Amino acid sequence: MFGWHGKLLRVDLTSGASQVEEIDPQIAKDYLGGRGWAIRYLYDEIDPRVDALAPENKLIFATGPLTGTPAPTGNRYMVVTKSPLTGALSNSNSGGVFPTVMKRTGFDMFIFEGKAEKPVYLWINEDQIELRPAEHLWGKDVPETTAILLAETDPKAKVACIGPAGERLVKVAAIMNDEHRAAGRSGVGAVMGSKNLKAVVVNGNRQPILAYPEQMKALSLSIQREVGGDIMTQGSSLREYGTAYVPQVTNEMGILPTRNFKSGVFEGVDQIDGPTLSEKYLIRAKPCYKCPIACGRDTRVDEPGYEGKGEGPEYETIGAIGSACGVDNLAAITKANYLCNELGMDTISAGTTIACAMELFADGLIPESDIGTPLNFGDADAMIEMIRKMAYRDGFGDLLAEGSYRLADHYGHPQYSMTAKKLEMPGYDPRGAQGMGLLYATSNIGASHMAGDIAYSEVFGVPSRLDPLTIEEKPRLVMRFEDAFTVIDAAGLCVFLSVRYMFGPDVNLWPERLTQVMNYATGAEYTEDTLLEAGERIFNLERMFLIKAGFTQADDTLPERMLMEPMPEGPAQGKVVELAQMLPEFYQLRGWDETGVPTKEKLVALGLEV
Amino acid sequence: MIINLKLLALYRKYLPAETQGSACQIEIGQGSVVRHVLESYSIPVDESSVILINGHAATPEDILAEGDVLCAFPSMAGG
Repeated sequence: MFGWHGKLLRVDLTSGASQVEEIDPQIAKDYLGGRGWAIRYLYDEIDPRVDALAPENKLIFATGPLTGTPAPTGNRYMVVTKSPLTGALSNSNSGGVFPTVMKRTGFDMFIFEGKAEKPVYLWINEDQIELRPAEHLWGKDVPETTAILLAETDPKAKVACIGPAGERLVKVAAIMNDEHRAAGRSGVGAVMGSKNLKAVVVNGNRQPILAYPEQMKALSLSIQREVGGDIMTQGSSLREYGTAYVPQVTNEMGILPTRNFKSGVFEGVDQIDGPTLSEKYLIRAKPCYKCPIACGRDTRVDEPGYEGKGEGPEYETIGAIGSACGVDNLAAITKANYLCNELGMDTISAGTTIACAMELFADGLIPESDIGTPLNFGDADAMIEMIRKMAYRDGFGDLLAEGSYRLADHYGHPQYSMTAKKLEMPGYDPRGAQGMGLLYATSNIGASHMAGDIAYSEVFGVPSRLDPLTIEEKPRLVMRFEDAFTVIDAAGLCVFLSVRYMFGPDVNLWPERLTQVMNYATGAEYTEDTLLEAGERIFNLERMFLIKAGFTQADDTLPERMLMEPMPEGPAQGKVVELAQMLPEFYQLRGWDETGVPTKEKLVALGLEV
Repeated sequence: MIINLKLLALYRKYLPAETQGSACQIEIGQGSVVRHVLESYSIPVDESSVILINGHAATPEDILAEGDVLCAFPSMAGG
C-alpha cells in the first residue's frame, strides 16, 4: 500500500499479548483511514450498548494516510472509542508531533482491548513492542509522566498519556500527547484509565511510502508558499495571536459564551483576547510538526498565584474557562489551562461544567456547604480550585468530574447543562450561529465544533461568508461540512489549513486539492465525489453506532435555553436556534427517515451492510 | 459624524497610531459607505475581509450612520 502502511497493532491488555494485522485494501480505501477505519473496526467489534468504562469497550488510536507525509498539516491522529461522558461515540483529534512518530512505528492504528490487571504503558519502537509496568507512574501528572518515560525509553520518542483525571475516570478526562496537546473531548482519557493504560510511547523511522512523492512534494511546497504569502490573513494572524484572536470576533457578533451561555456578550473581552495574550504571556508561536501556520502558544505566567509555563490558551479554552465562567483574568485562565493539561482534562468541558455549577450556585440551587466555598461567576481563584478538585474527584469535584449534565441533573435541573448529547458546547452560542446549532444537535459525538465547523463560514468568512442568523441552506451546508470534516479527520490533516487551502473557494467545500493529495499519497484514484462519499459513509456508520447504542431523534437536540430563551442582548438579540425548522430537511437530505435513522436504501448506496 | 472603527486580528495595525486596544472613534462624512471608510484605512474590501456593522453582516456599499460600530477582520480559519 501507499500512504497507509496497511498494518494495525492489536494489544490485548488483559493477557498482555499483541498481534499485527493487515488491513483489507478495500476497507482501507472505502474508509480512508483515521476516524474512518476506527469506526469500521469499533462498529464491528463492540456492542454499542457496552459500558464505556468496561473492559469490553475498545480504545483506538488511528492515523490517516496523510499523517507523517509532506502534506501540509499532515500530523493529526484520532482517538476513537465509546464515550463515558455521552454514551455515544468519541472521536477526538490531536496534533503535535506524536501522530507523525506514531505513524513511523510502521503501524497506522493501535487497538487496545480488555483491561490490564495493574497499570502498564506500551513502548513501541518499530518491531520492539512491550507492555511495561507503570505503577511508578500512576498518580503522576502529564509533564512528570512524560519526562520519566522519555528517560526510560528514548529521548527522541513521543508520549501520549493520561494524568490523574484519567486515572480517576473523570468523564471529561483527555489523552495528552507531547505534554500539551489534547485528544480532549468526551472522556477518552477515562477510557484509557479504565484499562489501566497510563501511556503509549512511540518511536520509529518507518516513513510511509507515497504513490507519487514528487507530485506531493511540489503541491505541498506550493501550498506552503501560499500560506506564507497570505500575509494579511490566515498564516500570520494565527501565528501572531493564535486562535486567541477569536473572543473579540465572537463577542462582536454576540455569540461569545458568557456566564454559562446566558449571554453572548462579555464585558471583559478586551482583557482575555489574543493581543493581550501576546503582549503579556507569549514566549513564541509553537507549530505542530512542520506546520506552516503555528497557531500553538508557548506561554509563561509570572503573576503571583498563577505562575506557570506551558502551552495555551487557545480560543476554546478562553471561552469555556474565561467568559463562560465570567472570568476576565487572563493569567488565571492561562493557569487553569496549564492545570487541565497537567492533570489531563478537556478545557471546554471542564470550564463549561464549572460555569454550570456557578449558575446553579447563583440561583441558589447548590448549597455552599456542598461546594465548601462560594462559587460565583467571575471568581477566578474558585474556578482554578474547582479544576483541581474535578481532576482529583476531591469533595465537590467528584460531582464536577461527571460533567455538567450529570451535575445539573443531580440537583434536579438538567436544563442548566449547556450540552448536546451530554457533551458541553464549545465557543459559539448557536442562537447567533444557526448552522452551528444544527451541527451541535447532529454531530455524532455531541456538541462539537470540530464535527463540521460551519462557523468557518458563519463567523470567519472561510471559504466564503454565510449570514449566521439565517437558516436558509444551512441543512445542506451543515451536511456538507460534516462530510468534509470527516474526510479531513480520516486523512490525518488539520482543519485550519485544509478548509482554506484544500477546497474550492465557496461554501460547497469541493475537495479539489484534498483529492489530489489523497491520490498522491495513496494512489487510490479518488475523485472529489468518491472522497465526499467516503466521508458520508463514515458519518453514516457512526450514526448507526449511535442508533444501536440507543440514541433516537429525541437526542438530536439542544439545551432548552438555546431553543426557548431568546438571546437577551447584542447582535443576536431575540434569536433562538430554529432547530425544528432545520432538522427535518437535514434528515431528508441525509437520506434518513423522519426519525433520523438512515434508510436501508441510503445504507446500501453507501455500501454499509449493517 | 462619528462612528466607531474596530479592527481585529492583524488589521489592528491599520488603526491610527495613538489607538489603545482594537477600536477608535473616527469622523466621517454624512452618507459615507463602508468601502470608502475601510479603503481609507488600507483594509481590503473583498472576500479576504469579514465586515460587520453593529455585529451584523455588512456589504461594501452599506451607508454608515452616526454611532455605528464598523468592524473588520481578515477571513481565516478559526478557533
